[in-house]
Amino acid sequence: MNILNTVGLAPYLIVSGLLFTIGLFGIFASRKNLIVILMSIELMLLSANLNLIAFSSALENLTGQVLVMFTLTVAAAESAIGLAIVMVYYRNRHSVEVQDATMMKG
Amino acid sequence: MNWTLAIPEIALSISGLIILLWGAIQKKGNAFFPCAILSIAAFVAVGFLTLTVSNGVGYNGLFINDEFSRYMKILIIIAGFLSIILSIDFNGKNDTNCFEYIALIVFSTVGAMVMVSSNDLMTLYMGLELSSLALYILCAIDRKNVFSAESGVKYFVLGSVASGILLYGISMIYGFSGGMGYSTIHQIIASNHALSAGFAVGLVFVLVGLCFKISAVPFHMWTPDVYQGAPTPVTTFLSTAPKFAAFALFLRLMIGPFGHLSPQWQLLIEVIAILSIIIGSVGAIAQTNIKRMMAYSSISHMGFALVGLAAATPDGVMGTLIYLTTYLFMNVGTFAVIAAMSRKGHVVENINDLAGLGKTDPGIATAMAIFMFSMAGVPPLAGFFGKFLVFKAALGADLYSLTIIGLLASAVGAFFYLRIVKIMFFDKAVEALDQRSLSLSFVTFSMGTLTLVFMLFLSPMIQMGQIAAQSLFH
Amino acid sequence: MMPIILFYIFAVILLLSAVMVVISRNSVHAALFLVLAFCNASGLFLIAGAEFLAILLIAIYAGAVMILFLFIVMTMQTNLVQLKEGMQHYLPVGFCIAIVLVVELIIVAINWHIDPNVAEAARQPLLQNMSNTKALGSLIYTNYIFLFQMAGLVLLVAMIGAIVLTLRKRPTNRRQVVARQHMREPNQTLEMRSVELNKGVDDLGGYLRPKETYYGIAQEDSFGPKPGDKMDITEKRQEREQSK
Repeated sequence: MNILNTVGLAPYLIVSGLLFTIGLFGIFASRKNLIVILMSIELMLLSANLNLIAFSSALENLTGQVLVMFTLTVAAAESAIGLAIVMVYYRNRHSVEVQDATMMKG
Repeated sequence: MNWTLAIPEIALSISGLIILLWGAIQKKGNAFFPCAILSIAAFVAVGFLTLTVSNGVGYNGLFINDEFSRYMKILIIIAGFLSIILSIDFNGKNDTNCFEYIALIVFSTVGAMVMVSSNDLMTLYMGLELSSLALYILCAIDRKNVFSAESGVKYFVLGSVASGILLYGISMIYGFSGGMGYSTIHQIIASNHALSAGFAVGLVFVLVGLCFKISAVPFHMWTPDVYQGAPTPVTTFLSTAPKFAAFALFLRLMIGPFGHLSPQWQLLIEVIAILSIIIGSVGAIAQTNIKRMMAYSSISHMGFALVGLAAATPDGVMGTLIYLTTYLFMNVGTFAVIAAMSRKGHVVENINDLAGLGKTDPGIATAMAIFMFSMAGVPPLAGFFGKFLVFKAALGADLYSLTIIGLLASAVGAFFYLRIVKIMFFDKAVEALDQRSLSLSFVTFSMGTLTLVFMLFLSPMIQMGQIAAQSLFH
Repeated sequence: MMPIILFYIFAVILLLSAVMVVISRNSVHAALFLVLAFCNASGLFLIAGAEFLAILLIAIYAGAVMILFLFIVMTMQTNLVQLKEGMQHYLPVGFCIAIVLVVELIIVAINWHIDPNVAEAARQPLLQNMSNTKALGSLIYTNYIFLFQMAGLVLLVAMIGAIVLTLRKRPTNRRQVVARQHMREPNQTLEMRSVELNKGVDDLGGYLRPKETYYGIAQEDSFGPKPGDKMDITEKRQEREQSK
């Protein structure tokens, strides 16, 4: 199914651009809780996936979808590792606030 | 399908699996040491395999082997090999001597090697993720240590953001060129003179992701904290193998598929190089922790290595390759000295802890002095030739302002390298450091010797570098 | 017309729930909004014809990743009130950058046109007649087998990482040694006592498991009374009565 015949490419790209910005904003501007930052990273990856799917559909080329499949794998692995690292951090500091991650300075 | 092209990567992954199995079925005692020996043997074997494997493109255009990839892979394998040797003794001190550590370094090396051999944006992404995911874990592996956990968190968050941006860039490039193979992108760019804005955004996003990996300046903020917090052998690995892999990608992408656009990206690379050199050199001056100082030093080294890419000529690429080689020797040697710094069984990391090392342990102090002089670029040592070659290439490409700023900044950089030499030889000794172990002495002195006698094998190195650089330019 | 209406419904809910993920003060709510975002994104995938990936997205995210997130959030018991602080400080700068980025990306999106030559070269007519799942399967096990294996390594590394970072050998861990449990005789652990009316086990002098088998079953480093600890309940009872 080619999205050029139905919705068009631009709406997809706009949605994914907005999603990407929301994710990036969540990481750098909100700066609160490490768990929320991990979720924002998931949003960024989702926006890239949406882009890939849209292009894949418009080009009638499946390479993009194959990459999305691998990206989903990587994203799942990434969140598992991220949560493990956050857990280690929490056990040491008893906090998941970003402001507390300032032991090292200089 | 020519699957034999990836034999080194396959062999290294299989040895990683064997190490995991060995560690898992080992009931009594600690499996760390036998696994370390196993991985060292695997690295040596894979090094030879890399030298013998044939050239070509395989796996449906995903994977490429050429002289350039061979050169970079050998550097990466040496980096992995040396980090394992450093960790044999060090990891016993902070209770990180688990066999998973070895397996993670091996898998991270596999990822870095795949990055070097990528001929497709998908291979690039998967290799990058494999190598970085293993590194995120390695940074936090000293899990009772607050600094290690914090460095793991910082590296993870910023690294994932960078790879997210990179993936977004990849999607843009895919939408523009209808494929992800480098050859497809190359053809599209060659036939299309008017570039769309979307493609430019994609290119910039990919550059951002790669700049993060080599810690070039706008994206260098993570470097000092991560270097300081991670265990020293991990820092050694972190400052070499993934950076070489990202640099290889940088060179391959910029010269290969984006080669036609060199007028557009040349200025960008120039600015990044200048900023990295300046911020690296200036930032290092104020540091008291030696690992933080090395972090800033590595930022400035990456800037120098980018000078060769900014030239965008075969000579420039050759200069970059030689620069990275000398960086490997000096950097690993310095980190071996840092790993040897401990007092009464506790790791010490302040620059002032080196005071009087010239009297208490003249051997290691001399080696450290050689590394510091070499990093500052003092003539007969390895570091000088790297700097000389990149700046020669920059002059050849008429980049005069870059050359002048680079040389001035390296004079500033010489200040903090020489300060360490002064502290070691002219300051009063506080207290002798602990007896260093055999493995650390081996790395320190072999790297010291290599740095010292680099000029003897300079001409074969340049020849190899030229062949490797030519293979990028076809 | 139907796909267009559905697209806008899904897209609006997706973006709103993404905003809620970023601004909500409660991590649990954020995780649930993330599930909502992913479900709507899978709707967008469906409209674009990627059926298999749409299902995959729900299976992986709503099924696995979100459970992981919620599990960690609830394990940590963070003080939920603290989450709002620190937001305002970076807000203006971050907002400006975000607006610039959005405008740029929207301009790029609106002006995007696909070169007909590129589209022609990229088209894969052989795969058009297959179902989406079959087409993907026919690609990943042939052309992309190398990346498929790499994905396996990535998952392996994630598994190693999660284990090596979070598994602790605490002294309170009590692991079974099944072989020893099977080897012991019933009379080592069982004892018949006749208890009179209106009397408890305490009045018979207490009852404890035989020491030898106790230490035999549990592993050496596991939690339990150390040899030499006071094991006799009568002594403990006396202590309790004295303290009264």
